[in-house]
Amino acid sequence: MGLALFYVKKFFKIVRNEVLVLPSRVVVGLFFIVLLGLPLITQDPYIVRIVILTSIFAILAASWDLLSGFTGQMNFGHALFFGVGAYSSALINLHAHIPPWGSVPLGAVVAVLAGLIVGIPCLRLKHTYLALTTLAFPIILTGIIFALPQYTGGEFGLSGVTRFTNSLIGNYYLHVVTMLVTAVVMWKITDSNTGIIFHAIREDELAVKASGINTTRYKLLAFSLSGFFAGIAGGLYAHYMRIAGPSTLEVSMSFMVVIWAIFGGAATIYGPIGAVFILYPLLEFFRIWPEYRTMIFAAVVLVILLYMPEGLIHWIRDKIETECPRCKIRNAATRKTCRVCTAGLD
Amino acid sequence: MKIMTLGWRLALTCCIVMVMCFPAWGRTIKIGVIGPMQFVQGKGHWAGATMAADEINARGGVQVGGEKMKIELIKADSNEFINVADATNAMERLMTQDKVDFVVGGFRTEAVFPMQDIAMDYKKIFIDCGAATTALCTRVAENYNRYKYFFRQTPFNDIYLVRTSFAHLAMAAAVMKKELNVPIKCAIVAEKAAWTDGMIKAAQATIPKLGMELVGTWQPSDKATDVTAELSAIQKSGANVVFTIFSASVGITFARQAGELKIPAAQVGINVEAQKDGFWEATKGMGNYVFTTNTYCRGVEYNELTTPFMDKFIKRFNETPTYTAGGTHDAILYALVPSIEAVGSLDADKIVAHLENREYKVPSGIVKYEKTKDGKPTHDLTWGPGYLTSLGVQWQDGKLVGVWPNKWKLAPDGPEATYKGIVPMKLPPWLKK
Repeated sequence: MGLALFYVKKFFKIVRNEVLVLPSRVVVGLFFIVLLGLPLITQDPYIVRIVILTSIFAILAASWDLLSGFTGQMNFGHALFFGVGAYSSALINLHAHIPPWGSVPLGAVVAVLAGLIVGIPCLRLKHTYLALTTLAFPIILTGIIFALPQYTGGEFGLSGVTRFTNSLIGNYYLHVVTMLVTAVVMWKITDSNTGIIFHAIREDELAVKASGINTTRYKLLAFSLSGFFAGIAGGLYAHYMRIAGPSTLEVSMSFMVVIWAIFGGAATIYGPIGAVFILYPLLEFFRIWPEYRTMIFAAVVLVILLYMPEGLIHWIRDKIETECPRCKIRNAATRKTCRVCTAGLD
Repeated sequence: MKIMTLGWRLALTCCIVMVMCFPAWGRTIKIGVIGPMQFVQGKGHWAGATMAADEINARGGVQVGGEKMKIELIKADSNEFINVADATNAMERLMTQDKVDFVVGGFRTEAVFPMQDIAMDYKKIFIDCGAATTALCTRVAENYNRYKYFFRQTPFNDIYLVRTSFAHLAMAAAVMKKELNVPIKCAIVAEKAAWTDGMIKAAQATIPKLGMELVGTWQPSDKATDVTAELSAIQKSGANVVFTIFSASVGITFARQAGELKIPAAQVGINVEAQKDGFWEATKGMGNYVFTTNTYCRGVEYNELTTPFMDKFIKRFNETPTYTAGGTHDAILYALVPSIEAVGSLDADKIVAHLENREYKVPSGIVKYEKTKDGKPTHDLTWGPGYLTSLGVQWQDGKLVGVWPNKWKLAPDGPEATYKGIVPMKLPPWLKK
């Protein structure tokens, strides 16, 4: 009892001293609470469906950020990992009769292999050349899928994939918790030494090499990690939709991921997640004007990127928080002095 | 006194406005119309649905037991060509937000599969008016209790679509043999697209069986603006029949340039552009004698329902109905409504039990749902003389006319099919020289 009380007190102390001091952390905390508590407010299947799909695409957008935002390896064919994850999970599920609990991680492992297959030839490429090369891979895979319809279902895809569960709330928590866990894992990776090296590779690869770091290994690691998380998203998508089809590999899917990540703010992990949670439900909301839906959506994205070139979430964070000029610690914008070193913030 | 008068006037105005805004007091039958509404297929779904609903509502609505109920259509843009997830969201919305009683529509198979699953989860009747994949109906036979709420209205399945095209090819070959008495050499020209792959393989296997020599296969881009290289090669190969498989703009390019170069070969097969009223203009008349499959053709009558439907549709929308338009119209007017009235209820199970055993007339033939060899319902469409056949149409001097079926039999001892308004197929005059 005493031990439990100790941990409860410790938890509240952390919340008070580490979370409540920064508005952005409060927002993240509220995001967790709202997502986990949503079924207590509504169990509307339509809303649940939108949140589930949003969660899946949030994992996908964050995985792109891990590779392209942090390491600067501009990937314009991210749908490849998503599609490989979806098709692999579906094939494993349909032919080996492995339930989704096994087929999704296995599909993600296949997506890691895809990451390596793409990563190795792309090691010598940079910028536009890299972007164009990565763009080609999902198109090549689509060609393979159409060429082998007996295994892949051709243009109709693989249907009849089993669901995780038939429970609405069970599905909700499965997808939302997976998204939250993978987001935290990705964020922790980028916050670690590996993440710093990813950052450094993007800023000056030559300098990183000169420091004795094997950048090839780290770039391949970035491709593999990104492939793994995108593969998880693809597997979840296939089992939720009960179909893995060529649409998972379409160019529009690759570009949508880039739009989400840039809209929210690249090299943050939370930016692309926030963007998906704004843009995906917003596109659904625009169904009230079906004829102008896509046009309004495009206009919103354009306006935001025009006035907030670093991304919406970056912009909001800069409005509600300031960085201490002396110790570089972030503080609430309302503070006059730094919460750590007490230096003036004006 | 003046204030009282104003108040009464306001109350009266409110009443009039309310009556005008809500003419259908009481419950309505909500039918969701789902399709790619920004594209011709979805526009067809909506046009067909509105025409059927207006006709039913004009005669007072649907008799459901002791109650007359009007039809209320809910439009849902599935956006399925661009985003499959969007299509499933639209279907979920129809089920849970709009709370529809029935759904009609759908087009892209990859989207129709998950849409079908959602409709089945809610045990709502979903009538497919666009996707031809056989597997959609195989599910009904394999897991009847879950998928029994799914029916196909148009088109008939992909296996029958291919067989129809080969029947057209066989007829063209017979005409050539009779008029020219030459050996038939056939070239396959298909646009470069995934959907043509299966058809090309089937055509390569079937053409020799039809007694023709296969001289080669050409696959120009689906948006090609110049196909003279392919046409020269076809001419060199000695082909006198070209089996076309086009759905995109290359259909116009091919027909126009073949006409300009007077390529001595008859074009038979699928050319979606040639089904449109604007084809003659688009090819500057060079698309003369092009032959394609189609569902409707001005002047051709499948039965007594065809002409009134065509006339009404053309009067209202100023174009020949597409198969998604006709199918959606039939799904509401001839499939759903008579079954609802017969069972006197909106209960999906009762309607399914009634509908799956019906044989009913629609403007494009007679609908009868198929069963497997062991008697399991598939809710797929029966194809052949006496049921649904579609048409073979040909451009003849600026007019699209029906040329098939013309005394067509599926089996030597089977029934024959010829519709009113069918005329003989014509060969290009330059082929006879």
